[in-house]
Amino acid sequence: MIKFTLQVRVKQSEGALVRILGVTRRRRFDLLHLTADTTEDGHFLDILMTVQADRAENTLVRQIEKLEDVSQVEVVEPGDAVSEHRAARFTAC
Amino acid sequence: MKGAEFLVKALEHEGVELIFGYPGGAIMPVYDALLDSKIRHILVRHEQAAALAADGYARATGKVGVCMATSGPGATNLVTGIANAYMDSVPMVAITGQVSTALMGTDAFQEVDIFGITMPVVKHSFLAKTATELPRIVHEAFRIARSGRPGPVLIDLPKDIANTVAAYEFHDDDTNEQIAEASAESITRAIALMRESSNPVVYAGGGIGMANALDEFRAFIATTRIPVVATLKGLGALATTHELALGMMGMHGTKTANHAVQTCDLLVCVGARFDDRATGRLNAFAPNAKVIHLDVDRAEVSKLRRADVPVIGNLRYALKALACKLPNIEPWRRECTTAKEMHTWDYDAPGTEVYAPSFLKSLSDRAGDDAIVACDVGQHQMWVAQHFHFNRPSQHLSSGGLGTMGFGLPAAIGAQLAFPSACVINVSGDGSIMMNLQELATLRRYDLPVKIVLFDNRALGMVRQWQELFHDKRYSEVDLSDNPDFCRVAESMGIPAFRVDDRAEVSSAIDRLLAESGPVLAHVLIHQEANVWPIVGPGRSNSEMLHQHEVAREVTR
Ligand SMILES: Cc1ncc(C[n+]2csc(CCOP(=O)(O)OP(=O)(O)O)c2C)c(N)n1
Ligand SMILES: [Mg+2]
Repeated sequence: MIKFTLQVRVKQSEGALVRILGVTRRRRFDLLHLTADTTEDGHFLDILMTVQADRAENTLVRQIEKLEDVSQVEVVEPGDAVSEHRAARFTAC
Repeated sequence: MKGAEFLVKALEHEGVELIFGYPGGAIMPVYDALLDSKIRHILVRHEQAAALAADGYARATGKVGVCMATSGPGATNLVTGIANAYMDSVPMVAITGQVSTALMGTDAFQEVDIFGITMPVVKHSFLAKTATELPRIVHEAFRIARSGRPGPVLIDLPKDIANTVAAYEFHDDDTNEQIAEASAESITRAIALMRESSNPVVYAGGGIGMANALDEFRAFIATTRIPVVATLKGLGALATTHELALGMMGMHGTKTANHAVQTCDLLVCVGARFDDRATGRLNAFAPNAKVIHLDVDRAEVSKLRRADVPVIGNLRYALKALACKLPNIEPWRRECTTAKEMHTWDYDAPGTEVYAPSFLKSLSDRAGDDAIVACDVGQHQMWVAQHFHFNRPSQHLSSGGLGTMGFGLPAAIGAQLAFPSACVINVSGDGSIMMNLQELATLRRYDLPVKIVLFDNRALGMVRQWQELFHDKRYSEVDLSDNPDFCRVAESMGIPAFRVDDRAEVSSAIDRLLAESGPVLAHVLIHQEANVWPIVGPGRSNSEMLHQHEVAREVTR
C-alpha cells in the first residue's frame, strides 16, 4: 500500500469534482482525505486529496491529468507548505 | 434563432453529414430544426444502434460519428454504444435531449442523469446551460472527440435551452491542436535499444490507424524490417499478406505471432495498450523483452508493463524519426518468416458441413481489396480476424475493448452510408444478430446493400467453447437450438435471404452474396461444436497455446 497526497486544479465546470473522484475510484485508489476550494476568481477548484492504493502514484496522476478541465496535478511531498496548510485545515475542522 | 437551431448550425459548421438517431419528447426542438438542415438524419430502430452505427461510421471514415436520442430511455439506450466507442477510442459526439432546466433534479418524466451515468465512459461531457454557449460547446466537443487519443463526448441539452430564442454567435477558434512530438532524447534512446537488439518485434495496435500513420508505419517497417504482430485493432496496419506480418497476437493469435513475442528481446509497441486479451498472463508476457512504447496517451505507457523507453506524442513523427536500418536482425527475421510459412492455416476440416474459416477465406479472396467487414462478437469474430485479409485497419470494424454483441449490423450500416458503393459485409452469429436484429428494417428503409453472413451454430459458441474447455463441458445457457428461421425473419423485413448448409454450396453462395445489388442475408449453418483454434486459456501465458490436436489430452489431464 502506498499513500500520497495530490493537488489538483480543475476548471469549475459541470461535474468537475465528481469526475476526478470517479477516476480515483475506478482506478482503485481509496480516498482518505479531501478538501476542495473555489479559487478567488471563481474559475477553478483547488483540490487536495490523500489516497491510498496498491498501484503506483503515476497510474492515477496520468489519468487525472488527461481530464479535459484539469490544468494541474501534482504529488505533494510530505512537509510541503500545502500539506501543512491542509493539516492545519483538518485540525481546524 | 432557437438554441436547437444553434446546435444544428454548429453541427453543419463542423462538417457533419450524417446523424444517427431516434426522436422523442425532450429532443423534439432539435428534430424540428433538422427539417431545415442539409444534414441527413438516419432513423434507426433502437438508440443502441444509433450509437453503434455512428461508431462504425467513425471507424470506417476516421471522422467524428454523431448520434442523438431523447432524454430518459433514449439516452440510456445509447450508453452501450458510447462505452463501445470509449473502449476502442473512437471519435464520437452523442447528443441527448434532457428535461427542462427547472425540472432537472425533480425526477421528472423521462429524466435520467445521463451526464452522470456516462461519466466513466466518455472522454468529456457537457451540460448546456444557455443557448448562446451551444456553438462553443459543439466546437469543443468535436475538437475533444478527435484530438490526441480520440473518444466519445456527450452533450446533454435541456429542452428549454433548445427552445430559447437568442442571437447566434458564431464560434470558431480554429485551434487545430498540434500533438506534441516525442522528445529527441526518447528517440535517441529508442534507436539505441533497436540497434542493440537481435530479435525485435513490433506490436502494432489500433493507434496506428487512428493517428493516420499508416504510411509512416509502413515506411518504418520497410526500413527496419522488424517482424510485426498485430492486436485485433492493429490488423491491416501492415497489409495482413505482407511478408513481415506474423498475424494477430494473443488469446486467438497465431502460433508464429505469439512465439515471436514470447522469445523477442525487444518489443516495440506502437499505439497499443497491453490489453489482457493480447498479452495473456501479464507477468509471463514477452519475458525477455525490453519495451519501447510509442503512444499519444501517456497514461497508457507503463500502465501495465513498464516501458524502458517511452516515446510519447505524435506517432507519425516518432515513426519517421525511428526508421533506421537494422542489419543485425536478418537471421531473426528469417526465423520468423520461416515459422510463418510452416504454420499456415489448415482449411481441410473433416465432414461436409460448412467450415467457417474456409468460408471466410474464400469470401475474403473474392470480395475485393477494399471490402469492409463489420463483425459481431464471438467465435465468428475471431475467425474473421484470423482468416480475412485486410489492407487497412479501417476495413475491419470489430468491437475490441468492450466486445459488444450486436455491434456488427449497425456498424455495417454506418460504414455503408459513409461509402455507398463499397462492398460492406456484416459477419454475425446467431446469438449476436438478435441483439440488434431490428436494424434489418433500417437496411431496407435506406436500401443499403450490406451483405450479411450469419454463422449459425445454434449456440452462444464462444461461451460454449469455454464451457467445453475450461468448465468440464458443463454447458450452461448456451444452447440456441430454438432459433427462429432466420431466412423468414429477414424476408419479413424485406431482405432477401438464403440458406447454406453444405460446403459444396459455399462457392455459389459467395457468388450470390456478392452479386446481389441490395441487402442480402446468407444463413450459414455450421457445426455446433466447431471451436476457435488456437486458444490461450484464461490466466495462461501466451507460450501455452492450446491447439486443436492437443486438446483431447490437455482437457482430460
Ligand atoms: C452484449 C453482450 N452480451 C454477452 C456477451 C458475452 N458473449 C461473448 S461471445 C458470446 C456468444 C456469441 O454468440 P454468437 O453471436 O452466436 O457467436 P458465436 O460465438 O456462436 O460465433 C457471448 C454471449 C457479449 N460479448 N456481449
Ligand atoms: Mg452462435
